[in-house]
Amino acid sequence: MDDRKLQIFLDSLLPLLKAGVAYTIPLALISFILGLLLAVATALVRISAWRIPGLIARFYVWLIRGTPLLVQLFIIFYGLPAAGIVLDPFTAAVIGFTLSVGAYSSEIIRAAVLSVPKGQWEAAYSVGMTRVQALRRIIVPQAVRVSVPPLSNSFISLVKDTSLAAGITYVEMFRTAQQITATTYEPLLLYCEAALYYLLFCSVLSVVQSRLEKRFDRYSAG
Amino acid sequence: MIEVRGLHKSFGQLQVLKGVSLRLEHGKVLVIIGPSGSGKTTLLRCFNLLEIPDGGSLSIAGLELSFAGNVKLARKDILSLRQKSGMVFQSYNLFPHMTALGNVAEGQITVQKRSRKEAEKRGEVLLAKVGLSDKTGAYPHQLSGGQQQRVAIARAMAAEPEVLLFDEPTSALDPELVSEVLKVIRQLAAEGRTMIIVTHEMRFAADVADTLILMDQGVILEQGTPQQVLEQSENPRVRQFLNRIKGE
Repeated sequence: MDDRKLQIFLDSLLPLLKAGVAYTIPLALISFILGLLLAVATALVRISAWRIPGLIARFYVWLIRGTPLLVQLFIIFYGLPAAGIVLDPFTAAVIGFTLSVGAYSSEIIRAAVLSVPKGQWEAAYSVGMTRVQALRRIIVPQAVRVSVPPLSNSFISLVKDTSLAAGITYVEMFRTAQQITATTYEPLLLYCEAALYYLLFCSVLSVVQSRLEKRFDRYSAG
Repeated sequence: MIEVRGLHKSFGQLQVLKGVSLRLEHGKVLVIIGPSGSGKTTLLRCFNLLEIPDGGSLSIAGLELSFAGNVKLARKDILSLRQKSGMVFQSYNLFPHMTALGNVAEGQITVQKRSRKEAEKRGEVLLAKVGLSDKTGAYPHQLSGGQQQRVAIARAMAAEPEVLLFDEPTSALDPELVSEVLKVIRQLAAEGRTMIIVTHEMRFAADVADTLILMDQGVILEQGTPQQVLEQSENPRVRQFLNRIKGE
C-alpha cells in the first residue's frame, strides 16, 4: 500500500465508524425492536383460533417473504410518492426493515411457542391459570430461550441488510463509503474498509448472542 | 363431596366414556384401575376439565357443572373448578424455568394472588411435607424423577384443592424410585386427603383405596372396597383382567 492509499484508509476510518454508530446501528436497532413487536403480534394471531386476523397475518408473511427486501424499499421510498405518500429515507428504511423482521421473526416465534410441550399448557391450566397467564408465565419464558439463537441470527442479518438503505439515499455506513469513493476513486479500499466494520459489528453481536444463550441456559438439562 | 353423573366423552367417532357415574365422600381415596384404553385417564382429566365432557354433570365441593356437547362452559366456572382440584401428571410437567419452590409458589402468586413471600412460605411447608426441604432451590433438571414427582405433588396441593388427582403418578419412574412417591401418597391418604388415583400398581391400589373402581371400554365394570373388587367379583370380565395382570 502506498502512502496515498494509507492516508485515505486512515482518513476514512473515523467517518465510517461515525456513520456506523450514528446511522447503521440505530436503524438496525429501531427496526429490530419494532419488528419484534410486530412479529410477536403476528405469531400470536397465527397461533390463536382467530380466523380473519389469522388469514391477514398469513397473507402478510407470504407477501414479505416472497418479495426482495430491496424491491420493498424501492416501492416504499420511490413508489409511494406517486400515491401521495412521501417519506424521508430514514422513515422509509425503518418501515421496510420492520416489515421484514416482523415477517421472518414471526415464524421463529411461532415455532418456538409451538415447541413448548403440551404438558406445560396442561400443568399451567391445572393450577388454574387462564390462557393469557399460561402464555405469559409458563410458555413465553421457555419459548424465548428457544428463539434466542435464531433471533440473534435475524438481527445480525439485519445489521448487514441495512446497507440496502444506501439504495434509497439513506446515508448510513455503506453510503458513506460510496461517497468517499466518489472523491478518492479507491473503491476496493473503501468497500473493504466498510466490510471490515460490518464484520466487527457482527462479531460483537455474536459474542452478545452467546452470552444471552448462556444466561437462558441455566435451567436446561445437560 | 365429589360426584359425577352420566359422564360422556368422545374423541371424534371414538366413545371413550359411555355414561360414568360415581361419588366420593370427603377424605376418601378412590383408585381407578383397568386396561389401557379403558377411559380411566380421560375420566380423571374430566375432574379438572383438561377434557371437557360432552354430557353428564360434575360437582366438586358445591360447584356443580352440567355438560352438553354444544354448550360452551363459562370461563369463570372452568377456572374455579380447576382450583378445586390439583393434578399430578404421569410425566410430572414441572415448569423447567422455575426452581422447586418456584413451581409450588407460581400458581399461588398468579392465580390465588398471594404475595410472593406468603406463597414461598407455604411452598416451603409443602416441600417439607414431601421430604424435599433441602431441594427448594433446585431446578427440575437437577432432580431425580421421584423428586420431580414429589415437587409436582406439592404443587398440586398449593391451592388447597378439595381433591388431588393422580394420573399414573409412578408410570414414568425408574422402579427404584416408585416407592418414595407411593410413600408420599400413602401418607396423604392417612391424613385424610380426598384423592382420585389412576394407577397400575395393584398392591398400592389395594392398600390405599377406600373405593376401587375397575373400568373397561368406557364404563365402570365393578366398584366397591378393594376386597370386593379384587376377591369377590363374579363378573367374568373383571376376573379376566385380574388374571391377566397377575400373570405379568
